[in-house]
Amino acid sequence: MARTTDWLAVRKELPGQRAAVLAVLSFVLPVLLWSFISYVPFVWHPNVKITQPGSVDYFQTDMLVENAVFAQENQRAAAEGRAPAAGYPANPIYLPPPHAVVRALYTGFTTPPRLPSEPWLHQSLWHSLQVIGWGFFLSSLFGVPIGILSGTFAFFSKLQEPFLEFFRYLPAPAFGALAVAVLGIYDAPKIAIIFIGTFFQQVLVVANTTRKLDVSLLEAAQTLGASRAQLLFKVVVPGIVVDLYTDMRILLGWAWTYLIVAELVGTTSGITYFINQQARYRNYENVYAAIMLIGIIGLGSDLVLAFIGGRLFPWRPEARRSNLGRLLRFFASPRARPPVGEAAT
Amino acid sequence: MNDAAMNYRDQTAPVRERFAKLHARPVVLAVESIGRRFEGESGPVVAIDSVSFEAHRRELICLIGASGCGKSTLIRILAGLDEPTSGRMLLDGQETRGPGRDRGMVFQGYTLFPWRTVSENVMFGLEIAGTAKSLAEEEAQHWIELVGLTRFADAYPHQLSGGMKQRVAIARALANRPRILLMDEPFGALDAQTRAQMQAYLLQIWRQVEVTIVFVTHDLEEAVHLADRIVVMGANPGRVLEIIEVPVPRPRSSAQFEDPLFVATKRHLEHLIHGERAAPIDMLPHIRLTTVGDDVE
Repeated sequence: MARTTDWLAVRKELPGQRAAVLAVLSFVLPVLLWSFISYVPFVWHPNVKITQPGSVDYFQTDMLVENAVFAQENQRAAAEGRAPAAGYPANPIYLPPPHAVVRALYTGFTTPPRLPSEPWLHQSLWHSLQVIGWGFFLSSLFGVPIGILSGTFAFFSKLQEPFLEFFRYLPAPAFGALAVAVLGIYDAPKIAIIFIGTFFQQVLVVANTTRKLDVSLLEAAQTLGASRAQLLFKVVVPGIVVDLYTDMRILLGWAWTYLIVAELVGTTSGITYFINQQARYRNYENVYAAIMLIGIIGLGSDLVLAFIGGRLFPWRPEARRSNLGRLLRFFASPRARPPVGEAAT
Repeated sequence: MNDAAMNYRDQTAPVRERFAKLHARPVVLAVESIGRRFEGESGPVVAIDSVSFEAHRRELICLIGASGCGKSTLIRILAGLDEPTSGRMLLDGQETRGPGRDRGMVFQGYTLFPWRTVSENVMFGLEIAGTAKSLAEEEAQHWIELVGLTRFADAYPHQLSGGMKQRVAIARALANRPRILLMDEPFGALDAQTRAQMQAYLLQIWRQVEVTIVFVTHDLEEAVHLADRIVVMGANPGRVLEIIEVPVPRPRSSAQFEDPLFVATKRHLEHLIHGERAAPIDMLPHIRLTTVGDDVE
């Protein structure tokens, strides 16, 4: 029994309850650290928030002043017999406390934009989702079939993969100016950036996944009389669909990482516009809230896709596990990145 | 015991009569001096030199030999998954190349399609040939019944044991009604008990179905237990050493493993395959790492 109490067993799965505890802790610990820095007055707090300007003429209520400046001014005031300023220790404006960010997550949706021409937060988000959606859809529309062909036929693999291996090193944002020149300043160049960022990886990842299909399944099908087209559609495609689904989840995550850069191309739009505007107004809790929303949507959509994936493929050995078990495994197991490098040989 | 006096060529009258009948049946598969060379780094490597044999209708032939004798290469050539560099094979007198539904194959590894249920796996060949779905389902049902897996018709492969998977693989291959069933060490990955069970199943299926079987194995007992004739192959290069008519009468059972004829045949195979390798088994150097007395022997 001694072994089961070991939290640090090498390469052993933790029992469900422990995995759950750690999964929750992985979120709680960073928040605790943040709270610790935000709410414990003597930790960091390099600024003073003025409550009473006193006799210092440039101090204003709610102004943030560096500790040294505050002390200096009060010293001078005391020496000259003037009224001192009052305030409490505060963190810089760019580190709002957790409760302010949580509040902003709600008020962000209820507060109308400052200018009537500006979009609401939900409009910004929806715009971002559309850009991602179109970019990923167009990329998959071409990337998946090309990847499957490439993984199935050496002809296609040799014809395109060396070039793709070269092209995938070109950073997608580098094409920003070009995309604007060709596609204008609105959504098209943004979608193009996401397409460029996703497509080349996608072809290589899908080709690699296709190549991992057990050759003996293809041979078995051949001895049963399958033609080339039947091998492709009756063996290759159903044979890789589970791994393909996982690849698509990971690739969708990559598409998200190109979102901010894409939205800066041409006229800034979507969630990036919201973040930039709020930073300009120095509403940093809104900035944090918006950044968190991206994370929440990303993780949330991945969870939903993982859940759907569990029901979609009843033939997998894991398909019968409970939903809770699947959720735990989702958090407890490291997400395998497809080994793109392996494709290049 | 007069085992030593027994010769594998000593056929009893009924066995001799059976072989006479067998040889009178038409030849289904003719292998004509098939050879296979691979281009190695240090020049060409001859995997199979020149192999010839014939399989008659409903015969069960075992291919046996030491590792590296090219028996797996040969059966892959017969299946059309590999190309011979010389020679040809005739199926019912017609030259054949490339894979086809007239030659079914059961592999050593499990090759069921994991996304298809047992019955969908068995239907694969029929579906591909364009048989109507209802008809294919009905057909599949018969074959699943034949291998005794009716209860598992709707199970997925991952829910089956190794032996059950191979039974489905046999049903899937037979559902195409191939002229020949090729089996490449199909029971090699199974435990001893399951393997014995599978051999009994195979003999029973073979009796009930119109099919000629070419069965590759490296297990001498398996070969003697199953085969009408055994094609013994030698290595470097792969070639036929001898084609043996198994004198053990049918129907076969595991009780015959002690039969003097069975033992004599097995001994002859051993001699052919292992006697060929003259080198004795190397012993490890004598290094003593224990102070305890020699109490293990």
